Amino acid sequence: MSVPDYMQCAEDHQTVLVVVQPVGIVPEDQFFKIYKRIASVSQVNIRDSQRLLYIRYRHHYLPENNEWGDFQTHRKVVGLICITTCNSAKDWPQTAERFHGQKEVYSSTLYDSRLLVFGLQGEIAEQQRTDVAFYPGFEECSDVERRVEDFVESIFIVLESKRLDRATDKSGDKIQLLCVPFEKKDFVGLDTDSRHYKKRCQGRMRKHVGDLCLQAGMLQDALVHYHMAVELLRGVNDFLWLGAALEGLCSASVIFHYPGGTAGKMAARKPSISQPADAGKRHRPGALTANGISADTSTEIGRAKNCLSPEDIIEKYKEAISYYGKYKNAGVIELEACVKAVRVLAIQKRAREASEFLQNAVYINLGQLSEEEKIQRYSILSELYELIGFHRKSAFFKRVAAMQCVAPTISEPGWRACYKLLLETLPGYSLSLDPKDFSKGTHRGWAAVQMRLLHELVYASRRMGNPGLSVRHLSFLLQTMLDFLSDQEKKEVTQSLENYTSKCPGGMEVITLSDGLKLPPVPFTKLPMVRSVKLLNLPTSLRPHKVKSLLGQSVSTASPFIYSPIIMHNRGEERCKKIDFQWVQGDVCEVQLMVYNPMPYELRVENMGLLTSGVEFESLPAALSLPAESGLYPVTLVGVPRTAGNITVNGYHTSVFGVSSDCLLEGLPSVKTSGCLVEVIPSLPRLQLSTSLPRSAHTPQHMSKEELSTSVSVQLFNGERQQLTITLENIGTEDIESLELTSKTVNIKDKVFGKFLSWDIEEAVHQLPLKPGQTVTLTISIKVKLDFSGQENLLQDLNDDGISVTGLPITSPLRQVLKPRAETKAVSSESGKAEYSHVKVGRNNTACTPR
Amino acid sequence: MAVCIAVIAKENYPLYIRSVPSQNELKFHYTVHTSLDVVEEKVSAVGKSLADQRELYLGLLYPTEDYKVYGYVTNSKVKFVIVVDSSNTSLRDNEIRSMFRKLHNSFTDVMCNPFYNPGDPIQSKAFNGIVSGMMVQTG
Repeated sequence: MSVPDYMQCAEDHQTVLVVVQPVGIVPEDQFFKIYKRIASVSQVNIRDSQRLLYIRYRHHYLPENNEWGDFQTHRKVVGLICITTCNSAKDWPQTAERFHGQKEVYSSTLYDSRLLVFGLQGEIAEQQRTDVAFYPGFEECSDVERRVEDFVESIFIVLESKRLDRATDKSGDKIQLLCVPFEKKDFVGLDTDSRHYKKRCQGRMRKHVGDLCLQAGMLQDALVHYHMAVELLRGVNDFLWLGAALEGLCSASVIFHYPGGTAGKMAARKPSISQPADAGKRHRPGALTANGISADTSTEIGRAKNCLSPEDIIEKYKEAISYYGKYKNAGVIELEACVKAVRVLAIQKRAREASEFLQNAVYINLGQLSEEEKIQRYSILSELYELIGFHRKSAFFKRVAAMQCVAPTISEPGWRACYKLLLETLPGYSLSLDPKDFSKGTHRGWAAVQMRLLHELVYASRRMGNPGLSVRHLSFLLQTMLDFLSDQEKKEVTQSLENYTSKCPGGMEVITLSDGLKLPPVPFTKLPMVRSVKLLNLPTSLRPHKVKSLLGQSVSTASPFIYSPIIMHNRGEERCKKIDFQWVQGDVCEVQLMVYNPMPYELRVENMGLLTSGVEFESLPAALSLPAESGLYPVTLVGVPRTAGNITVNGYHTSVFGVSSDCLLEGLPSVKTSGCLVEVIPSLPRLQLSTSLPRSAHTPQHMSKEELSTSVSVQLFNGERQQLTITLENIGTEDIESLELTSKTVNIKDKVFGKFLSWDIEEAVHQLPLKPGQTVTLTISIKVKLDFSGQENLLQDLNDDGISVTGLPITSPLRQVLKPRAETKAVSSESGKAEYSHVKVGRNNTACTPR
Repeated sequence: MAVCIAVIAKENYPLYIRSVPSQNELKFHYTVHTSLDVVEEKVSAVGKSLADQRELYLGLLYPTEDYKVYGYVTNSKVKFVIVVDSSNTSLRDNEIRSMFRKLHNSFTDVMCNPFYNPGDPIQSKAFNGIVSGMMVQTG
């Protein structure tokens, strides 16, 4: 017996085994359709007696396993159904020959057999034979199930006769010794007349009878026989068979106590069980009746005496397994017994003892196993651990099975199977493939183990030939385990990531695997880490200002109340509160991000742009290179809104190491933002100023460079007049509709006589509306007339420029030496200076005056 | 003398794990991780019984070929796991218990440190010292 049947459970001891095989050439799908139909007959109620027979079906069974049929009767093949196709009468004799040949294989144990012939018509088909059934085709065989039931009943008749034959105690006659295959040579030449030997024979026969009773549906009798067998065999120290008798006792008790079956969820998968739903609960009404006597309290007493209690079941299983352990050839039996015991323990919810059994099962040596068998064994172990709730252990064994799939000794490693198994181990290690699970709170699970697992996933997916998957897994590793990777590992991971993405760039789509599993996208929110997002106002010279409405400033459009004592307070700080400046459609708008680079080496970020919604936004991507472990580094992302409305900055997108990621600000709880909703107003015209006088070299102190678009400085003598031509060019795309010119005099201590600046704007206004590209010129005349009347004051004023070295009035030339001022002319005391003031030009605000 | 000592937080992630450096560290990670199953099983089972005083020492969790794994759980569900060599048969139950007691005391000291945030990995030198004293001395 070489291959253990991991799916066996204790209640299989009461089934009879029927093998269904194809003979000759039969199309596979047709065969399996018929097989399913045959296998649906798993319980047969025997006529004339209220006993129930259970049948197990196999389409493939090794003849070596048959030889253990004497040891445990449910292992031997008692029925054979052959399926064959035969299209013409000439082929019939050949087919019949093949059928007989097939029967020979199992002839030692076969009770009965049947042949189902499909496709033959004619006079041979008209023959009414009990052992052959003719059907014209695979579709027209409605009574297959009935035939199978008849077949089963005929098996039952044979079974009953055998049972009665063996059961009657012929103590006078010679009872033949039942053996298992590896024992046969041990008993050659033994004295067959000794009492020891006779007792051995009796014990074994009793046990065999018990098996037959169990199969025939007589639970009570089976229990009695088993008990007797145990007594007899204990006396002769026949350990192997003693173990078998104990196991039989346990099976019968299990059938009694757990009529729902111990197969649990597995029952749904076995083809012999026809009820897939209801969590595999099998309804076994016959378990409580025996010999046609219905269950009533009068037989309770008998039952209680013979049947084992649930704790005892496990004790006896332990004993049986320990006896099996003495025989190394009985490894398969031992393993199967362990598995059955574990299933019973799982139902009893005694997980710890089940785990001890499983621990032992790992060490049972079955000799040389093929790789396929090893994989199967580890998978089964993993499933059993899952059954008892030991998820981590189950994941461990699944991983071992996955590794076994691609062991170096296998010629064609099954990478796909390995990958699939590895994916299944993830929940056991608290790993999910969704990065959102890892963004909050402390890290779940054991980082070292998880990293190992992720590396293996990457390797398996690469060998599987799916680089997209490798990229996804590797980016997941980098994103979630960044804190746990050492510097060296970070370098290695990023290098391999770049390697993979050169073949297959990573993206933000959901990868769906062939079995339906979806891998969510992994955005790199930590590379680089964004600390704050700030929307910047437009440069001062380009800021829009609301044109004063006709009613003056006192009327605000916000509320109808002119005055109200109630002051509205803002309720807390919303994340996306509206910002009080505006952006203009068509103008370049900026958002500043403060980022830093957590990696120990330089990080290249390419294609960094904004993700916005609400308004069509043309984002101009930036590329930057952040130094290793830099502090906060400001990055300005720019873009141009193309339509008007309210724009929300939702996030940003980057391309790092070849993987593009879209990071939304909601997903980043640590990012500080001062609001991301901004109103975009429709386009405004833009104006460029140029003057006829040369630009000044320095800017006046109290104004920043941004507020100023041009500054001009000119030096005049007192009383001198100067003309300044300002050219206004419309460089935007909108028309300019109104023009306002105001002047503000600053930084002057003296009185100026007369109008300092004068201009005539009428001519310019006539040329409005100014189309894009057009220019209009303004002439401004500057007239300086300072009041130099107070001499002493003048000197004082001339002195009074903030610096006075000795505190005594000093003459101008000396002052010049101390602090040269470009505008001041040294010699003449009548010189003055004039500074050009800031010219304000009104912009057209379409909000107030619709065009 | 232990081969590997681990302290596991309530949420089942490791606060401290240290093993004899000559061995493959990852193997010990796996062993301790799977032993958590058994610990949880025992803890839930103990809760079901009506004992007033819960036994903190869990005993032998499971034996493998080379190692024996012992467990101990505190009232705040912090678990200690000690892995010893199977060949070291001279270690008796009492000795294991005393090792756990020392660990528990040392752990309480770490917790008392006002600068230690519960849930952070343990980096205390005193704790390291106690653990080194309990580990197998390698060459």
